[in-house]
Amino acid sequence: MNPPDQLRMFWLLVRHEIRVLVTERSLPLVCGLLAVMIGYGLMVGLKQTHIREQMVADVLAHQHQTAASNILKLKDVLSGAETPVPFSNPANPAAMAGGLAGRFVILPSTPLAPLAVAQSDLLPNYYQMTYRSKVQFMYDSEIENPWNLLSGHFDLAFVIVYMLPLMILAISYNLLSAEQEGGTLRMLCSQPLTVTTLILAKVFVRAIALLGCAILTPLATLLVLRPEMRTLEHLNLIMCWCVLVIAYALIWFALAALVNTIRRSSSANALILIAAWTVWVLVVPVALNLFVSLAQPAPSRTELATQTRIVTAEALKRYEDLYSADYRYAVDPKSLLVKEGHIEIPARMMAFFLAKRDVDESIEKLLMRFDRQVLAQQQLIDRFGFLSPAIVAHEGMASIAGNGSRRHLAFKDQVDRFHGDWRRYFWPRIADSHAMTVQDVESMPQWRWVEVAASEASGDAWSRAGVMFVLAVVLGASGVARARRYSIV
Amino acid sequence: MIALIAEKDLREFVRDGRLVWAGGLIIVLLTTALCLGWSRQTHIQSERAAGQALDYEAWLAQGDRHPHDAAEQGMHVFKPEPPLAVLDPGIEPFVGSTIWLQAHRQSEIKFRPAQDATGLQRFGDLSVAWVLQTLAPLLIIILGFNAVSGERESGTLRQLMSQGVAAKSFLYGKAIAIVSGIALLVIPAGFAIAVLAFFIAPVDARSDVVWRILFLGVGYSLYLGFWILLVLAVSALVRSSRAALLLLLAVWIFSSLVAPRAVSDLVAAVYPTPSRLQFNEQLESDMDHASTDAWRHDLGLSTKWDPALPLSKWGRALQVDDHAGYGAFDKNFVSLWDTFEHQQNTQQWIGLLIPVVALRSFSMGVAGTDFAQHRDFSMAAEAQRRIIQDIVSDDLVQHADPLGNAHFSYKAGAALWAKVPRFDYRLPSLSFALAHSWPSLLVLGLAFLASAGCATVAFSRLFARSELS
Repeated sequence: MNPPDQLRMFWLLVRHEIRVLVTERSLPLVCGLLAVMIGYGLMVGLKQTHIREQMVADVLAHQHQTAASNILKLKDVLSGAETPVPFSNPANPAAMAGGLAGRFVILPSTPLAPLAVAQSDLLPNYYQMTYRSKVQFMYDSEIENPWNLLSGHFDLAFVIVYMLPLMILAISYNLLSAEQEGGTLRMLCSQPLTVTTLILAKVFVRAIALLGCAILTPLATLLVLRPEMRTLEHLNLIMCWCVLVIAYALIWFALAALVNTIRRSSSANALILIAAWTVWVLVVPVALNLFVSLAQPAPSRTELATQTRIVTAEALKRYEDLYSADYRYAVDPKSLLVKEGHIEIPARMMAFFLAKRDVDESIEKLLMRFDRQVLAQQQLIDRFGFLSPAIVAHEGMASIAGNGSRRHLAFKDQVDRFHGDWRRYFWPRIADSHAMTVQDVESMPQWRWVEVAASEASGDAWSRAGVMFVLAVVLGASGVARARRYSIV
Repeated sequence: MIALIAEKDLREFVRDGRLVWAGGLIIVLLTTALCLGWSRQTHIQSERAAGQALDYEAWLAQGDRHPHDAAEQGMHVFKPEPPLAVLDPGIEPFVGSTIWLQAHRQSEIKFRPAQDATGLQRFGDLSVAWVLQTLAPLLIIILGFNAVSGERESGTLRQLMSQGVAAKSFLYGKAIAIVSGIALLVIPAGFAIAVLAFFIAPVDARSDVVWRILFLGVGYSLYLGFWILLVLAVSALVRSSRAALLLLLAVWIFSSLVAPRAVSDLVAAVYPTPSRLQFNEQLESDMDHASTDAWRHDLGLSTKWDPALPLSKWGRALQVDDHAGYGAFDKNFVSLWDTFEHQQNTQQWIGLLIPVVALRSFSMGVAGTDFAQHRDFSMAAEAQRRIIQDIVSDDLVQHADPLGNAHFSYKAGAALWAKVPRFDYRLPSLSFALAHSWPSLLVLGLAFLASAGCATVAFSRLFARSELS
C-alpha cells in the first residue's frame, strides 16, 4: 500500500471515527466533562488570583494611608502643633524603621497566575518591611486552613496533570481491543489500510477534540478576563503552556496506542493504563518528593530556633546598657521634640535596632542554607523529573503561572537586599539622631519588584516540553513498531 | 461453600498476578513510608525534646536582667510529634512546630515544613495513611471489579447457582477473598506500625497508643469494607466486567482526587478565611480599644504611655496593657480557629457521600495530627506565655524602678526565672481525639452500612433475576 492510499484511508477513517464517536456519545461526553472541569479549574485559579490581588490592593491602600497620615503627623510634630507619643513619633527614624512607616514588599501575581495555583496559597506574597530580623518577618505566612493546604486546589494545573490523562485513557483504552472484541478489526483490515493508519486516525480524532477543549477554553477565557496578558511576552508564555499541554497529552495517547498493540482485552488495557497513570501521576511524584527531601534535606528548624534564642540573648546582653538607659521623656516630654533637625532617639529603641541587626548577621548563614536547600531540591527535581511526565508538566505550568518555587526564591532574594537597603537608609539617621523630615519620608527606599525574565520561564517550559515530546516519540515509535507486526489472526 | 468460593478467588488473584504486582507495590510503599516515618520521627522527637530542655535551662541561667528584657527574649516551645504521626502526618507539614513566646503578643506557630519544600510537596506525602486512603481502594477495585461479572461472562455463575449456593454465601465468599487479599498486605503493616508506635511513645502513653491503633483499625476497616462491598455491588449490578471497571475507576478518581479538593474549595467559599491583613487590622483595633479602655479605667490616663504616668508605675501599666490584650487575642484567634473547625466539620459530614473525607478527618484526629490538637498546643503555648508575662509584670509591680529616670535599671535574678514553670505539654488523650472525631467514625459506619445494604440488594437481585430466567 502506497502512502497516498494510506493518507486517503486516514481521512476516511477520521470521518468514520468522528461519526461513530459522536453517535455513541462517548467523545461529546468526555469533552463535555473535561470542559466542565477546565471551567471549574479556571474559576478556582481566577478566584485564588483575585484573592491574592485583592490582598495586594489592600496592602497598598494601607501603605498609602499610613504614608499620608505619617506625613500629616510629621508636619504637625515639626511645627510643634502636636506633642509626639514615644512609640509612634514619625520624626523618630528608629520608630519609622521599626514598622511605623507601614511599608510592604510585594510579589505581584502574573497575568497568567490563574493557570496554576501551585505554591501561591502557601508562600506569602507580601511582607511588612521593618528592621526586625529576617527570622522574625520572613517566615510570616498568609492565613490559610492547613486542611485546605493539605487538600490542594482543584485548579487548571490539577485538571491538566491529573484529569486530562484520565479523559484520554477513558476514550483510548480500547482503540484496537474494542474492534478486536467486536470482530470489526478483521473487516477493517480487509480494506487497504494498515493497523498503524487505523491507530493514527483514531488518536488524531480524539487528540484534536480533547486538546481543542483543553487548550482553547483556557486561552479564550484568559484572553477575555485577563486583558493584561495580551502582550507579546505573555502571549509567548501562553504558547509555551499550549505546547506543554500538547506534549503531555501526546505521551498519554502514545501510551494508550502502545498498550493497545499488546493484544489484551479492553479490561486488561484499562487496568494496565490505570496502573501506569497511578505510578506516573501518584506514586513517582510522591516518591521523588521523598527522595529530594532525603537527598537535600532542609536544615533543622529546631536548630534555627535554638540559634535564634542564643544570638538574641547575646545581643540583649551586648546592648544591655542601652536597654537599661533612661526614658527621660517620661518626666520631660519635651525631650521628644525635634530640635534643630535632631531628635533624641530613646536608647532602648536604638538597642532594638542594633540587636535585630546583630541577630540577622549571626544567623545569616543558617538562613541562607534554607533557601539553598530549596534550590538544590528544585535542581534535583529538574534532573529527575523526567521519571514522571506529571512532574515535568506541573513544574512547567507553575513556572509559567509565576507561582513556582524559583520565582518565590527570587522574591525572597530581592526582599533580603531591600531589607539591607532599609537598614542602611535608617542607621545613619538613627546614629546621628537625625529627625525625619518630609523629604526623608518621601525618599525612603521604595520597593520595586524586578520581574524574573519571561525568557527564563519560557526557556524552562520549552525544555520541559522537549523532554515530554521525546518521551511521546519513544512511546509512539514503540507503538508503531508493534502495530506493524500486529497480527489480526 | 463460603470458604470454597473465597479460596478459589484468592488463588486466582495470586495466579493472574494481580495480588502479586499491585499488592507488591503497596507493600513496597507501605514499608518505605513506615521506615522513613519512623526514622524522621525519632530524629525530630529527640531534637525537639533537647531544644525544649536547652531553652528552659538557658532561661533559668540568663543571669541578672530586667524582667521585661527577659520577657522580650522569651522562650521557645516546641510541639511534640504524636507517636502515630508515623502513620498519618495529617496537617503537620502545613503547620509549624515552634512558637517563640515573647512579651506583648500572642505568637503563631512558625516554620511550616512545606515552606522549606518544593512544589512537589503538593502531590502528597508518602505515608501509610496516604497509601491506605488512596491506593488501597484501587487495589480493591483491581481485585474485585470482575468478581461477579467475570463469573457471569465465563458462565460459571449459573453453575454455582445450580449447586444451590445462596446469595449471601456468594457475597460472603467473594468479600472474604478480597478481605484476605487486603489483609495479607495490611495486617503485617498494621502490626509493624503498632510495634513502632509503641516503642516511640513514652512509657506512660503506651496504652493510649494501643487504643488509638485499635480505633484506627476500626476506622480503616470500615473504609476498606465500604470499598469491598461497593466493588462487589457494582460488579453484581453492571452487565460487563469492562463497564464495572470503568465505573469503579471513575468513582475512585472522583472520591480520592476530585472530591477532597473540590469540597475544600467549596467549604472555604461558605466559611471564608480572613486575610492576614484583615486579621491583623481587626486584632490591632480590638487591642487598641481594649487597652485604651483599660488605661482609662485602671490608670486614669486618656492616652497610652502618657508622660503623666510615673516610671514607678510602668510595671502596673504593662500588666494592665497585657491583660487588656488577652481578651482581644482570645476573641480573634478563637474566631479564626472556629472558622477552620467549621470548614473541617462541614467536610466531615460530606464524608457521608465521599467516605475518604470522613476517613481523613478521623485518621488524623485519632493519630493526633489534626487541627483540634494543633489548636490545643497553641492554647497551651499561649497560656505559658501569659504565665511568663504575669510573673514578670507582678515582679515589676513589686520592684518599681528606683532610680527616677533610669528605667529598666532594676535587675531580677535566678529566683524570678525559676518561678516560671517548665513548659510541660502533654499531648491530648484519646478521649479528646474521640470527642472531636466521633462524627467521622459515625459517618464511616453509616457509609459502610449503606454499602453493605447495596451489596446485599445487588446480590439478591442477581440471584432472583437468574432464577427467573
